[in-house]
Amino acid sequence: MTEPMTTESTDLAKVEEGGSALAPAEHAPEMSPGEIHPHPSPLQYVIVAVILCVVTALEIAVSYTEGEIPDALIVVLLLGMAILKFVIVAAWFMHLRTDMPIFRRFFVIGIVAAIILYLIVLSTLNRFS
Amino acid sequence: MATIEQTNEVGAPASRGGSPGHDPHATATGVTNLKLGMWLFLASDCLFFGAFIATYLLYRGRDTVGVGPKELFDIPFTSATSFILLMSSLTMVLALAAIQRNDIRRLRIWLLATALLGATFIAGQVFEFTEFNREGLNLTTNLFGSSFFVTTGFHGAHVTAGIIWLMSLWGLASRGRLTQKDSERVEIAGLYWHFVDVVWIVIFTVVYLVPQPGPTGS
Amino acid sequence: MTTVTGALTTARRPFILRRPMKTTGVSSWFTTIDHKKIGIMYGSAALIFFLVGGLEALLIRLQLAGPNGTVVSAAQYNELFTMHGTTMVFLVGMPMAVGIGNYFIPIMIGARDVAFPRLNAFGFYVVCAGAIFLYSSWIPGINGVPNGGWFGYTPLSDTPMTAGFLPGHGPDFWTIGIIMLGIGSTTSAINFIVTILNMRAPGMTLMRMPVFVWMMLVVAFLTVFAMPIITVALIMVFFDRSYGTLFFQPAAGGDPLLYQHLFWLFGHPEVYILILPGMGIVSEILPVFSRKPLFGYAVVVFSGIAIGFLGWGVWAHHMFATGLGPVAISAFAVSTMLIAVPTGVKIFNWLSTVWRGSVQLTTAMLFSLGFIAMFTIGGLSGVLHSVVPADTQQTDTYFVVAHFHYVLFGGLMLAVFGGMYYWLPKVFGRMLNERLGKLNFWTMLIGFNLTFFPMHFVGLYGMPRRTYRYDSGLGWDVWNLVETIGAFIIAMSTLIFLTNVIVSIKLKRGAVAGNDPWDGRTLEWTTSSPPPEYNFADIPEVEARDAFWHDKYTEDDEGRLVPLPSGGADAGGGGGQQHHIHMPSPSFYPLVMAAGLIPLGYAAVYRSFVWLGIGALTLLYGLYAWAIEPATEPEPESAPARTPEPAV
Repeated sequence: MTEPMTTESTDLAKVEEGGSALAPAEHAPEMSPGEIHPHPSPLQYVIVAVILCVVTALEIAVSYTEGEIPDALIVVLLLGMAILKFVIVAAWFMHLRTDMPIFRRFFVIGIVAAIILYLIVLSTLNRFS
Repeated sequence: MATIEQTNEVGAPASRGGSPGHDPHATATGVTNLKLGMWLFLASDCLFFGAFIATYLLYRGRDTVGVGPKELFDIPFTSATSFILLMSSLTMVLALAAIQRNDIRRLRIWLLATALLGATFIAGQVFEFTEFNREGLNLTTNLFGSSFFVTTGFHGAHVTAGIIWLMSLWGLASRGRLTQKDSERVEIAGLYWHFVDVVWIVIFTVVYLVPQPGPTGS
Repeated sequence: MTTVTGALTTARRPFILRRPMKTTGVSSWFTTIDHKKIGIMYGSAALIFFLVGGLEALLIRLQLAGPNGTVVSAAQYNELFTMHGTTMVFLVGMPMAVGIGNYFIPIMIGARDVAFPRLNAFGFYVVCAGAIFLYSSWIPGINGVPNGGWFGYTPLSDTPMTAGFLPGHGPDFWTIGIIMLGIGSTTSAINFIVTILNMRAPGMTLMRMPVFVWMMLVVAFLTVFAMPIITVALIMVFFDRSYGTLFFQPAAGGDPLLYQHLFWLFGHPEVYILILPGMGIVSEILPVFSRKPLFGYAVVVFSGIAIGFLGWGVWAHHMFATGLGPVAISAFAVSTMLIAVPTGVKIFNWLSTVWRGSVQLTTAMLFSLGFIAMFTIGGLSGVLHSVVPADTQQTDTYFVVAHFHYVLFGGLMLAVFGGMYYWLPKVFGRMLNERLGKLNFWTMLIGFNLTFFPMHFVGLYGMPRRTYRYDSGLGWDVWNLVETIGAFIIAMSTLIFLTNVIVSIKLKRGAVAGNDPWDGRTLEWTTSSPPPEYNFADIPEVEARDAFWHDKYTEDDEGRLVPLPSGGADAGGGGGQQHHIHMPSPSFYPLVMAAGLIPLGYAAVYRSFVWLGIGALTLLYGLYAWAIEPATEPEPESAPARTPEPAV
């Protein structure tokens, strides 16, 4: 909950830093308020999508190794790749990489809260024992 | 719901006649109301889907009756629909890039493509549900049936809402009511769409791909 | 859509109702998007439901006045305590805080409106829709008054309605109603966060914001993250009942404790959603009537944040009697003790604020001091609950009932009454009568303690909560009679308050308030009473915490207050010149969209496609019309510029 505090100073500082570059909106039409860097180009989007395809293919391949490598390893690999895909989509397609950190912070609070709270619930209900 | 609200002018000292050089839409944080509100909604939705996924995980492998994931899941089929949903995120960002260049023709193409890919995913989900149902799984069969259908069903409902949203934007764009200066409306819809996509990334892994617990009872 | 050109007229929006432009008169209240009017509507709705919930409480107290009461049947008693709890939490506590926040947050941060004016109206109408839906269950023939307690534990509330412990539609109305109310509070919370972060006037940094605004920010974050959790829990209960899913069916391996976890994962942050606004209100009132700045502003703010943060780590102390296992129980016991620390810190801050101040014992101040005392008692009995063996003994007894009434009534409601005496002069321009106010306060304090303090005793004597009657000879008789008498004193006190409001404001007997009746510290006192539609003719430039005080007073070398020559007279800023303030236009569609939710609720309960069609069409019509109409209707070029009067 302390997030808005830090957001305040850093974001405002960012605006001021970037102020001169941003100020006349006509000169930088690809930048909208709240962005620190411009969005990726369509080509970059396609490259990101190709990477996502490769990771997805790997995921499905790993899921077929069941019985050949330990289940625990499969779970770790699959979760790792899911997190990787999640982060790539959030960073590139949802522009968290280039937008102001305030959005990232709110989203991370939501994700982290969900993970921690529900893990506590599951462990309290003896899911992991 | 946050999606339909638009930025307004009340933040401005005066919509016309404000001090010269003062951006009438400036906010204290430098980000727009609409986008901030959307991200808060998405953060909130994390806990919504998290609760469904946690429930699914809690009940995973607990059943002693009925058919279970091992007998039912068709990984190649679901991989294909998951892949389609993933690619709809690409068409979505291309739509955004198009409107930011004021390329309305491509905007319409990519919006329509995104909505169609989403509709394909939903069609796949409907097929999968009916298939599972034919093989003996419904909401009341066992805990897997309850938690699987409700979790993926609520995700599907989110995708459906997204399709309606995209089609509405497409309709606006077709009638020339969506131009470069409205690009934030496309961006907001895109945020929602990508969020639904990343939720599916998690569901696909946790529900479908990880090794399933042994076959359920007799 | 802000950028829709002026050429877009009604003629080009064929299916759309003509844009309402009226901002005065009765009809304007249904289309208003003015945060002040919406705030008044929230407050009025909450006050009405306070009376309804209070009536339910009086019936409960009548039934329990003596042993073997016969006022209501067991079934009616279940309905009464369920609706009393649900009403007081969701229809009084939350809307009241949202109402006060709606009115004062924008003014306190120097803004002209909230970030999403139409969403704001939508949130209010959704709460109304949820309330109407919940209470429509009392219509004869519906057979569906919620009766499973305000937390609707499974498997009691969960079994299919054909074979359930709770036949009828009670839990269905309850789950769907709460989901609706959750939608309303989530939208208003998002609106508050964006408003507070984005709409602050120049110079209004976060650490210059009034504490009330800070507390509402914390509350909004809690709401945004807590509401989806209970929504999921309620959806699963609803599916269990209506579609035969097995989520909480022990026979099929389902875990009723999961429901308790999800409920309290929401429920405990909800406790802080209810109490933090109260803390914010007294943090505004105490400095004004002590004529001192709030002691340790930063500490109060960070304690509030800490409470909001720790509030997520204590939920299982509601479940100590369920056999969580020693590790979980110890961890939650420790975190529960820990959360008493920031709360205690705040109490010392408030006391230090009053200490050596020039205290004026106005009614608002009395209520705030009453809040500190009563909340401290409630807090202390709360600490007792973190002691697991004691808690196990107290679970589901009247001791728990005593505890949460001390924090919610003695805490939140006393602060709200204080806030009314403090802020209603700003809202309506008339002072409330102080003599009636003091009578109101003392009767309230006495009635409250008579009602709830003996509950500690009967709780420790073993009287279970939610019991609809009891035998004599258990040592409970006298105290229960005292409690009932106390409850009627509270009712009388509430009537005194209403009389005061009607006489002073409606009949205009109260003194004219003027802009700054209390010699206030924050920006709302720089505006006229009531403030103009646009709040500020000129957006204020904020230079300090307690911005208005800073404009009015300075300190001499020995730290004494010295009024500044201007006396804050120009604080409203250079009025008089021509302004063109273009406020967002009123709209029908928040009301239309929210109205669509009621048929959707019936569709869910009765699984009826007719209701579904009506609801979905209304909702979609409202949604599309809303999306198509611009937030602010372009003004005709010939429109005369409005000339706002100087604010001061």
